[in-house]
Amino acid sequence: MSDVLSAPHVMEFPYTRSTGPVVGAFLTGLRDQKVLAYHSSDGTVVCPPPEYDAHTVAPVEAAKLIEVASEGVVTSWSWNPAPRDGNPFDRPFAWALVKLDGADTSMLHALDAERGAIETGMRVRIRWAAERVGFINDIACFEPAGG
Amino acid sequence: MSGKLAAVLGTGQTKHVSARKDVSIAGLVREAADRALADAQLEWKDIDAVVVGKAPDMFEGVMMPELYLAEALGALGKPMFRVHTAGSVGGSTAVVASHLVQGGIHERVLTVAFEKQSESNAMWALSIRIPFSQPLVAGAGGYFAPIVRGYIRKSGAPLDTGYKVVLKDRLNALKNPFAHVHDHEITYEKIAESPLLWDPIRYAETCPSSDGAAAMVIGSEAAAAKQDRPVAWIHGTSVKSEPTMGAGRDRVNPHAGRMCAQEVYKEAGITDPFRQIDCAEIYVPFSWFEPMWMENLGFAEEGTGWKMVQDGTTSLTGEMPINMSGGVLSTNPIGASGMIRFLEAANQVRGMAGEHQVPDAKVAMGHAYGGGSQFFAMWVVGSEKPTS
Repeated sequence: MSDVLSAPHVMEFPYTRSTGPVVGAFLTGLRDQKVLAYHSSDGTVVCPPPEYDAHTVAPVEAAKLIEVASEGVVTSWSWNPAPRDGNPFDRPFAWALVKLDGADTSMLHALDAERGAIETGMRVRIRWAAERVGFINDIACFEPAGG
Repeated sequence: MSGKLAAVLGTGQTKHVSARKDVSIAGLVREAADRALADAQLEWKDIDAVVVGKAPDMFEGVMMPELYLAEALGALGKPMFRVHTAGSVGGSTAVVASHLVQGGIHERVLTVAFEKQSESNAMWALSIRIPFSQPLVAGAGGYFAPIVRGYIRKSGAPLDTGYKVVLKDRLNALKNPFAHVHDHEITYEKIAESPLLWDPIRYAETCPSSDGAAAMVIGSEAAAAKQDRPVAWIHGTSVKSEPTMGAGRDRVNPHAGRMCAQEVYKEAGITDPFRQIDCAEIYVPFSWFEPMWMENLGFAEEGTGWKMVQDGTTSLTGEMPINMSGGVLSTNPIGASGMIRFLEAANQVRGMAGEHQVPDAKVAMGHAYGGGSQFFAMWVVGSEKPTS
């Protein structure tokens, strides 16, 4: 097929986000090095917190969010050998699901560790960004917690 | 009507504004849904399925937002559907929801439509020059202005017809607490002197950019029988489509719109829409679309719709009130705009439209269109059960 039409197309316009009371509180917590979670009506602690309770459909109240630890355990992971633009690192790293101590659910973030050192069940902790603005990237990544 | 009986049990909408910075998209849709449930005096457990509509995802940049809205709309473990028909989506979403009840599948369906225009810029999202496609040239106004010019040329309508539509709708909006634009200072002169954006459309003749959501609970005959408050019976629904471009296509008076109107009237047992329909909420994002749709819907003979604007027929106290709520010209959360038309029609026949109520409205029409005047959705609702 040599007669396929082809043309470049660059599209750009700004998007904004109003985060609302719950996601907003979670992101603001990260700025202050706090990870907030929701104590769900079924007893589980969900982190990051949802805006509505999955079981009662009730709105989650930001004032009732609880703090969980900044350390936890890897529940699953995937090695990223060829990072792309916009990834947190320009060198190979892992995407990991991390269950923070005090939470019953896992959150996804980057894990900066040697591939051979990563295993499900390993202890990791948050490496905070030096400058925090109230965004998910205030967690620069997870790193091995040692011990 | 077709299938089993269905009725609107409750409605809800947000106060439409240019930017709801205090809520997420989930919070916005939930507000409308909570109000519809409260109006219907129902709880989340009473809802069997959820049908969501919004305009193209590019408008907020959240891909398939319905997936993340399942929690906010109490849809976990229930069927949830998304409808896509551009600007007409609020109307066709309500039609899909009503069909789930008319088909006997569900007892009560929650239908919700929204747009949070403040999260991006729909006009520029509609202005991209996609390779090998005709550019819209600066948004919807750039696309529709030549069609309006075509209407003026064919009908010989006076050039101030559009001003009179806006003046009426913006004055109506002052009676609607949920409307976005509340301009207490509006005058004919101010409209006539506002900047010309796309000849012949002036700034004051265009819809605002709104954040807002609308919701309805649609229920079966058995569900309606349990309600204490008035319901709006669905007498007819129709959805029709045609392509954006095409040789011989009449974009002033689109064939799909005429077909849609004929079908909804047939289903509702209406043979003389002007006499049998008490009022209508129709999708008018630019002033001139009121007279154009009056003709497309068969309320006026072709080429004469503008006379009903000029002589006050379409005013709130006229013989055929149009857009009693202030219409899209006063409120435009795009995806929700069609549903607001359907919802306002339902509230009219429920006698619950508030200050913009048409006295004794028994039969009302909701209308939406989208794309390049190519997707149409309509319903006719009544205060009494349909007999046809």
